[in-house]
Formats: sequence, structure tokens, C-alpha cells
Amino acid sequence: MAKLNVNPTRMELLNLKKQIKTAERGHKLLRDKQDGLMQKFMEIIREAKTIRKNVEDKLQKAFKNFMQASAMMYPEMLENALLFPSAETSLAVETKNVMSVRIPHFKLHQKGNILNYGYLQTSGELDMALEAFQEVLPLLVKLAQIERQAERLAEETEKTRRRVNALEHMLIPNLKETVKFISMKLNEAERSSITGVMRIKASMENA
Amino acid sequence: MELDNKTYKIAMVGSKDQILGFKALGLKTITANSAEEAREALFRLNGETVNLNNESRKKYAIIFMTEELAMQISKEDYKKLTKEALPAIIPVPGIKGTTGFGLSRIKKMVEQAVGSDIFK
Repeated sequence: MAKLNVNPTRMELLNLKKQIKTAERGHKLLRDKQDGLMQKFMEIIREAKTIRKNVEDKLQKAFKNFMQASAMMYPEMLENALLFPSAETSLAVETKNVMSVRIPHFKLHQKGNILNYGYLQTSGELDMALEAFQEVLPLLVKLAQIERQAERLAEETEKTRRRVNALEHMLIPNLKETVKFISMKLNEAERSSITGVMRIKASMENA
Repeated sequence: MELDNKTYKIAMVGSKDQILGFKALGLKTITANSAEEAREALFRLNGETVNLNNESRKKYAIIFMTEELAMQISKEDYKKLTKEALPAIIPVPGIKGTTGFGLSRIKKMVEQAVGSDIFK
């Protein structure tokens, strides 16, 4: 441990002692924050994993339907049928504050009909495929929400961990070391002044 | 639909086959066939804002993109895009099925937060 570069005075000693107190309080607070973040993160990440697996399965099926539908139709017709959707999708977003991390919450709003084309030139498979997509979308939104939350929390947890470690392993030991150095220096000065006085007294008595 | 203070839009970036179905659901779709195109699309979507009561904010809250494309977005670009709480850029498996990129992303988050992967 390196001691800080300060003058060994009583003034500095008092300042440093105050600093140690603050640092220790900050350390405790940050550690509590880290625990809180970690708890939340663990909850979320487990859920994220299951949702992602679920979404991947469902999406795969939806795409399979869609591929079948597109194989049954002329590409131009497929594109024409889907060119101007009447369905509208929007998202209500609210941000919540978890341990001073702002994490988003999404809520899906849909309106309009997804099957917005003439039935004559399109195949029934397309209807089914679009319905499958429609089913997946809420899940996708949920996945987006939870992964984004996990991502934000992961960043914050890492930052907090670094801060806790910096305080615990660098700042606080350094401060303590310096306090020790200064108090030893001051004690030494005190002893030397006492011996000085004793020497002068002895030489005065001898004279 | 009118956008109010808390209403955002969803976008999807990917190859033509991939996004066509989602277009019918009312998502904003952008075709991208290469990493460069995807990158451009992301920055363009991220830059789009709406003005409400003299306050401007982002238009898109979620941008989905194919795993194949998401893989090729550089870390620096991704960081730039996700500085703020929104948008969420989420890789989804494409027509060819999952590449495992999404799960490995979750794994990386765990590593970042905990310091090591505890879900082995």
C-alpha cells in the first residue's frame, strides 16, 4: 500500500480521519446498492433466458409458415398484399427507477386489421402466417423489455462493483496507511521534544 | 395513431423475407442486406425524433434486427446507439433459425454483471 503524499501535520491527520469515515460510509452504501442490483439482475436474467428460448421457437414456426405462404404466391403479389398495412402498432413506454438505474417498461398497443388485402390473390397460408406473427409480437416486445432491463442493470452492476472494489482495496487502505504514518511521525516528534527537554534540564542541573 | 408523450414506435431491420411479415403488423421496417446497410439503418432510426410540446424525443423504442446483422455491428457503434435508456436494440433469429447469438448476448451480460458466467 502506498501512502498518500501529504504533510505529516495534525491538521492533515484530522482531515484524513474525516475522509476515512466518509469513504467507509460510501463503501457500505455502494455495497448495499450492489447487492440490490445483483438481486434484481438475477431475477431478470433468468426470465430473459426463458423468454428468449420461447421466442426463438415461436418465431421459427412463424417464419416457417410465412415461407410456405410466400412459396405459394408470386413474390410481386405477396409484396403488393403487404405493401400498405392498415394495422398500426405503437408502444407505451414508462421508465422505472431501480437502484437509480432507469429501466424501460413497454406496453404494446395494436389496432387495425392485419389481414388487409383481397382474398382472391392471396393464399390461406399467408393469413395463418400473419396470425402467427401477430402472436409472436407481444412476446418479442416482452423480450425487448426484459433484455434491455438486463442490459442496463448489467452496466450499472459492473460500475458499482468497480467502485466498491476501488474503495475497498485502494482508497481506504491508502488512507489508513497514511493516518498511521502521520500519527507515528507525530509521536516521534513528541518523544524527541521530550528527550530534548530532559537533556536540557539535565545539563542545567549539572551546571 | 397520434403519438403522445409516452407512445413510441417499433422498428425492424433485416432482409426482405424477414421483415415483410412484420410490416403487415404495422411495424416500421427497413430492408438491410449487409452489415453496412444495417448500420446505416440503425443510426437513421436512432436519429429520428418527434417533437411534442417543444420537447423532442426518440421516435423508436425498440429496434429489432436479425442476429446475422446484429453480429456484425461493431461494439463502438452499439455503444453509441444504446447510450440512453432507449432504444432497445434486440437481435432476433432470422428465417434460417437461431444462431445462438441472442443467448450468448445474455451470457455476456451475466459475465459483465457478476464477473463470471454462473449459468454454465
